[in-house]
Amino acid sequence: MTEAKPTLDKTPDADTGTATVTDAVPDDAFLRTRGVSKSFHGRHVLKEADFRIGSGEIAVLIGKSGSGKSTLLRVIAGLEEPDAGDIDLAGQAVVRDGEYQEAWKELQGQIGMIFQSYTLWPHMNVLDNLTIAPRLALGETEAQLLDRAERALTEVGMAHHLRSRCTQLSGGERQRVAIARALMMRPRLLLCDEITSALDPPVAAEVLGVLTKLKEEEGIACGIVTHDMAFASKAADRICFFEDGLIKEDVPPEHAFNDPQTPGLQAFIDAVRF
Amino acid sequence: MNSVNLAYEFDLSVIGPALPTLLDGLWLTLKVATITIVASAVLGFPLAVARMSKIEVIRWPAQLYIEVFRCTPLLIQLLWVFYALPALLGVDLPGELSIIIALTAHLTAFMSETYRAGMQSVPVEQIEAARMLRLNRVQILRHIIVPQAFRQQIPTILSLNVSMFKDTSLISALGQADLTFQGNILASQTYRPMEIFTLVALIYFSIAFPATLFTSYIERRLITSGSRGAPPPASGLRGTLARMRPGQRPVELSRPALKSLLKPEGV
Ligand SMILES: Nc1ncnc2c1ncn2[C@@H]1O[C@H](COP(=O)(O)OP(=O)(O)O)[C@@H](O)[C@H]1O
Ligand SMILES: [Mg+2]
Repeated sequence: MTEAKPTLDKTPDADTGTATVTDAVPDDAFLRTRGVSKSFHGRHVLKEADFRIGSGEIAVLIGKSGSGKSTLLRVIAGLEEPDAGDIDLAGQAVVRDGEYQEAWKELQGQIGMIFQSYTLWPHMNVLDNLTIAPRLALGETEAQLLDRAERALTEVGMAHHLRSRCTQLSGGERQRVAIARALMMRPRLLLCDEITSALDPPVAAEVLGVLTKLKEEEGIACGIVTHDMAFASKAADRICFFEDGLIKEDVPPEHAFNDPQTPGLQAFIDAVRF
Repeated sequence: MNSVNLAYEFDLSVIGPALPTLLDGLWLTLKVATITIVASAVLGFPLAVARMSKIEVIRWPAQLYIEVFRCTPLLIQLLWVFYALPALLGVDLPGELSIIIALTAHLTAFMSETYRAGMQSVPVEQIEAARMLRLNRVQILRHIIVPQAFRQQIPTILSLNVSMFKDTSLISALGQADLTFQGNILASQTYRPMEIFTLVALIYFSIAFPATLFTSYIERRLITSGSRGAPPPASGLRGTLARMRPGQRPVELSRPALKSLLKPEGV
């Protein structure tokens, strides 16, 4: 295994340019990015990110804050436009050379994102939070949605809160409802950006446990930024280590934690070792 | 009015005969205030949206408009619309129409800033979450931003409206027969300014005071629902930091109440 840095001169079909062990990566990755980059005000925050997540796979993104993890998730989610690079979703080209393609319109609905801060709309109850988007965006009827909302809440262990006010929920409950809300849109890819950072460890474990279940039972692809190394080592199929806007390593957790190949990951593991 | 008692001693008997005239004036006051408040409540919204536009040729005129009306005296605005605008346009505006235009133009500037403050207080992550759930811009505005903004700003909106109700007394300077104008006439006719102006003040008070009581009631309710809505505090430094992060606070937490306590005009 070499310590190759991601570079542009790779052919698209060549293995990703990171210092990579790819045995855990299915070839038909649900999401695949190549050379995705993003600058803010001339600062190169994300450089040539080659990244993929297979269906039913959890990729955990780790790295110091400011290393570009959120930016990559936000670019994939469509919240930021990439400056350059290609993105494929479900085998179709959604971004080419930084430009959105026709397929994006249709496929963007398959991506769900959960944020670090609580984003339930506080002026609506839990049920309305869950049903408003499918009702307005997908035109589904109230009757269909009630049933689906109950099932989505059951998935996340919140069935008894169907009619609760969001402001009465605890932090962990809010994040679980946020996951259920995303599930209502039937995502195939769920992006989670430090969704448990404001939670106590046991509560965080519960929330992250929901994601493991979704991956296993629904085959949802999960891209998760977290500082919870216990979760990363247990639940991740792959660990992607970010440094200075580059994915320096993309390896199974046992490699990442026991046998880091780059000095950056070595230092990171030493610093967070539990 | 001829029946007014001009007796020398402190005299409450002027009140009875003065009342019909004062109520006439009050009618104009209420009419002007109501039209102004309703029109500004509507017009303030597109102005606020324009003020937040990313497009400069839309944003700048909106901003200029708002600043002009915030940074010049209301009386000058009234005089300008009353005397200058008809000359400028070459049309004769009825006096009542011109003062309603001026007051509406004024209040609209303040209402739009209130709306904007409310809309911008909605955490950006809530809007991004809505985008991720495929709501379009209009749906986000209509279902996510406006209900929260409006609810949060109700106290400020109410106190702006109470201020406007009182500020209508300036139109008496333009010869409009409102409550203040009628009071002024009666005071000089009866030589009883003390009795008459006290009565005029009481009439304004009897309308404005219940409105401010109602405003305080709404504020208290928002504060209560805010503190109940707060996530249970995590302990220690981590919890403190977590609570300081934007978007972690429930929207209706005491901020609007605090703001309108500091600055009732919501400036
Ligand atoms: N919208 C933005 N505008 C300007 N700079 C940004 C923006 N988003 C992120 N950045 C900058 O990009 C860098 C990487 O940020 P981020 O992707 O959030 O890192 P991480 O999630 O790994 O902590 C940071 O230095 C951050 O300040
Ligand atoms: Mg981040």
